[in-house]
Amino acid sequence: MGHTENIHGNTAAKWSVGKKIAFRIAFAFFLLVSIPLSSGWYKNLFAIDWLNPHYRDIYDIARYGTNLPPILFGSGRPNIADGEGQERPGQPKQKHDKKDVLKKAGAGPAKKDSNKAGPGRDSEQQRSRSWLSDYSSWGNALAIAVIIGLIWTLLDRKRPSYNVLYYWLTVIVRFRAAIGIIGFGYTKLFPTQMPFPSLGLLNTDFGDFTAQKIYWLSVGIVPWYQVFGGIVEITAGALLFFRKTATFGAILLIGALGDITFVNYAYDGGVHVYAFYFVLLGSFVIAADVPRLYNLLILERYTVPQFYYPDYSKPVYKYPRIALKGLAVFIFFGVLTYTEVINFKYDPYKQPSTAGVKILRGNYNVTEFKINGQLIPYSPLDTIRWKEATFEKWTTLTFRINRPVVVDPSNGGGSPMRDIQRTFEIAGTAGGQRAFHYYADTIDHVLYLQDKNALASGRTAFGGGREETESPKKQKEPDNWISAAAWKNIGDENRMLDKRAWSTRRDREFARPERDIKRARLILKYNTIDGNRVILTGINENKDSLYVVLDKVDRKYVLPESALHAGKY
Amino acid sequence: MTTVKLEPSAEWKGYEKALLRFFFIYFIIQTIPLDWKYYKGLFSINWLDVRYGDIFFISRYFPGITSATGSFTDWIIIAVIAATGAFIWSKRKKSDTDYSILYYWLRTLLRYRLAIGIIGYGFIKFFPLQAPFPSISNLNTSYGDFTDWKIFSLSLGIVPGYETFLGGIELLAGILLFFRRTASVGALIVLVFTGNVFISNLAYEGGEYVYSFYLISLALFIFAYDAQRIYNLVALGKPTVPNLFKPTFPGWQENTRIVLKSALIFFFVFVYGFKTYKGYKNDPYQFPKAKGLKGASGIYNVSEFRINNKTFPYSVTDRTRWKDVVFEKWATISIRSNRPVILDSTNYEQVSRKDSDRNYELAGSGGRHYYSYTADTVNHTLILRNKNRNYADEKLVLHYSRPDSATILLSGINESRDSVFVLLTKIDKKYPIKLGRRGRLKL
Repeated sequence: MGHTENIHGNTAAKWSVGKKIAFRIAFAFFLLVSIPLSSGWYKNLFAIDWLNPHYRDIYDIARYGTNLPPILFGSGRPNIADGEGQERPGQPKQKHDKKDVLKKAGAGPAKKDSNKAGPGRDSEQQRSRSWLSDYSSWGNALAIAVIIGLIWTLLDRKRPSYNVLYYWLTVIVRFRAAIGIIGFGYTKLFPTQMPFPSLGLLNTDFGDFTAQKIYWLSVGIVPWYQVFGGIVEITAGALLFFRKTATFGAILLIGALGDITFVNYAYDGGVHVYAFYFVLLGSFVIAADVPRLYNLLILERYTVPQFYYPDYSKPVYKYPRIALKGLAVFIFFGVLTYTEVINFKYDPYKQPSTAGVKILRGNYNVTEFKINGQLIPYSPLDTIRWKEATFEKWTTLTFRINRPVVVDPSNGGGSPMRDIQRTFEIAGTAGGQRAFHYYADTIDHVLYLQDKNALASGRTAFGGGREETESPKKQKEPDNWISAAAWKNIGDENRMLDKRAWSTRRDREFARPERDIKRARLILKYNTIDGNRVILTGINENKDSLYVVLDKVDRKYVLPESALHAGKY
Repeated sequence: MTTVKLEPSAEWKGYEKALLRFFFIYFIIQTIPLDWKYYKGLFSINWLDVRYGDIFFISRYFPGITSATGSFTDWIIIAVIAATGAFIWSKRKKSDTDYSILYYWLRTLLRYRLAIGIIGYGFIKFFPLQAPFPSISNLNTSYGDFTDWKIFSLSLGIVPGYETFLGGIELLAGILLFFRRTASVGALIVLVFTGNVFISNLAYEGGEYVYSFYLISLALFIFAYDAQRIYNLVALGKPTVPNLFKPTFPGWQENTRIVLKSALIFFFVFVYGFKTYKGYKNDPYQFPKAKGLKGASGIYNVSEFRINNKTFPYSVTDRTRWKDVVFEKWATISIRSNRPVILDSTNYEQVSRKDSDRNYELAGSGGRHYYSYTADTVNHTLILRNKNRNYADEKLVLHYSRPDSATILLSGINESRDSVFVLLTKIDKKYPIKLGRRGRLKL
């Protein structure tokens, strides 16, 4: 790339030594954070079935953070509360942590004091981690970049300037930021990232939610606002694709994502690093224009911008440029729009996709409750009886019991295909609220229910890993709590949603065996004429017999419901 | 206007002059207080003891012709007046009006107007007053029993640090607007920030969408001054001439300018900031100031409930029986029951001085009835009055006794003049908001 291509001819010919060293380090650093370095990213990319795509295929291309080996700084403990988009810490470190936990658990009574100090230290570590050590992969990237930058300085001392390289680095950063934010923006443009609260959530007291949940819900109640947020993010992304508008896009990006970073800190949303990543990229994009604007507006001086811009009329540049831009536009505006529309209409990813039994849907009072034949009268203090129940639009039964359970602290996000793993309706929700996924045998009128909150089902271990990072347990005997005859009546969950939303990604996930997680299970026969009174009989997770009479209530909410509904139920 | 000496005089095209005449009249009507209601408010301020609520009121002027909360109809009326005025102005015989000077003064006026307006809201967020931490009653109300605007406010209220950050952005924008050279940057911040506020008001059915758009319209006009230059430099990448108009003030005029400017900044930044801080410490305006019954604050289960000596057992459907009762730290009691609530909705900002006007805790909330009370601690009597203006006549007179710290016995006459007896037992309620979600939460 010679200087002859420079059509502006007004670039600074000679850079200072300091500027050159800073640039070399910055070049290596921004390249390291802008280019996907995890093998998982490439696996996803090559596994995509472009003829039967799923929105998540494209979203996963757009969504990656910094993934570097812990050269200088180890990653903090993995925490289930971290949201999607937050990069996962490296595997070796995690194993080490698990050992630590085991050691702690095995400590004898003689070490009681140090044991006691353990959790306190832990929580302190977690707190400090959420402010600084979360950025450890950036630290590692910087460490590598400094090494590269210094070696480069030794080898290339004579070069007067890096105007050309600077231009290309900006292009890479611009495109990285644009693609990333567009991936984010689309889940808001077709509002699925923050779902409208389900009946069970509407019936939960405000004070029974975690802060993270409160923020997500507060956006979920106004889908049009979410659409607006999506438009802002996508506009920022679209402006970043073009040199002339890139600075305006970057300013919008910094404003929006700077706010989201702060929101994530304030509400402990868990996506602060990924949000701040865009602020970092945006700041790099505007870096050259800031001093110019300062000169023009604040100092009120005549300003001559200096920059390199290749001559794109040359075929070497012209055709690859058209091809690459065209490809980016096709994938991130074309395919992504198509798959997101499908997702919004038939399979909103934070809500179960299977329609619930129609006649059952609604709010219910628990009129009668018998356990092992013993009638339990209503009392708000009773720790066994259900207080109220809902059948959601989808395959979920919720009820509330005045008994504390371990709250699912996650964001309820991710990309699970199976309805039971779509936990937004229970994540971050306390107050004794329970949510059970059901398979409905609508011929014999039986519901096969499983607790959506695995932590609530008495699993005492809580720590490190998310469900999916758990080590696979030994092969057990096949689980046949649902008979083959019943399965025939229930059908194939993979195929229960609208045909237009079928995809290869979904097929693959359903082809893998379900993760072995101990969940509370209920098998309940339902009996109703018109849905106004539903009688449930069966057994609960402790093999106690249950007899529950539910009476439908027409609960009027103050909260207005938007006309914009995700999903088809 | 001879005070301003123009350096290199710019050429004004015909349509530019016409536009400026229009905007001059339009924004003068929009920003110079002509509304008598505003002066009524001004004269009711005790100027010897100015409160932050008073300064907030001063900062929030807009002409209300057809509606007290502002409406876009007013804008159309003002635009018609401005168009007519501009037309008449153009027909006058050639004057020697210098449009550059006119433009300068109009932009200066709007800069100050916008700075004051944005700082007005900035401080009540910077010291998190506008959206306070939710009351115990609000925490114990179903999510679906709030209006969307109320949820917006409650959701902001749980993160005072974030509210301070938002207020800080508004203050920064306001301060940048006080200075000519930084005004466009300030206006840009207002455009992004208040643009979001405007959309939020529309989405959450807030009552301030007209006023927020009013601030945006001022910011647009201020920003337009430099927009062309910024586009030329950043988008086209061309050499760009800066603003060349620099007002110079001879002698005493310069001193007057500095004194006036300093006084204005002193009042709206330092005095207002200090007063708001004091208010935050001593008298947050959303909740009543009067203290509640000592040591009683919390949520109570209604363990026993009798009316005219008839016991009402626990029931999910009964409309008379109370479900739970909240004693706030201040003198408010709220009762959850199946009795429906006709909402009391206020969705715009007003800083009320009197406790009886402070209805934030019940605004936009169903599920509970809210009562302010006065306690006679000698005779152990509470007099409850329903705070909701739809139930203004409701009054309960209750004798109270507290056998232990977790129990309150209430007996007396309820709103329908029936005798009532209630046994309240405190619930040890824990909230995830206060515990965080990083540790194990069993609730």
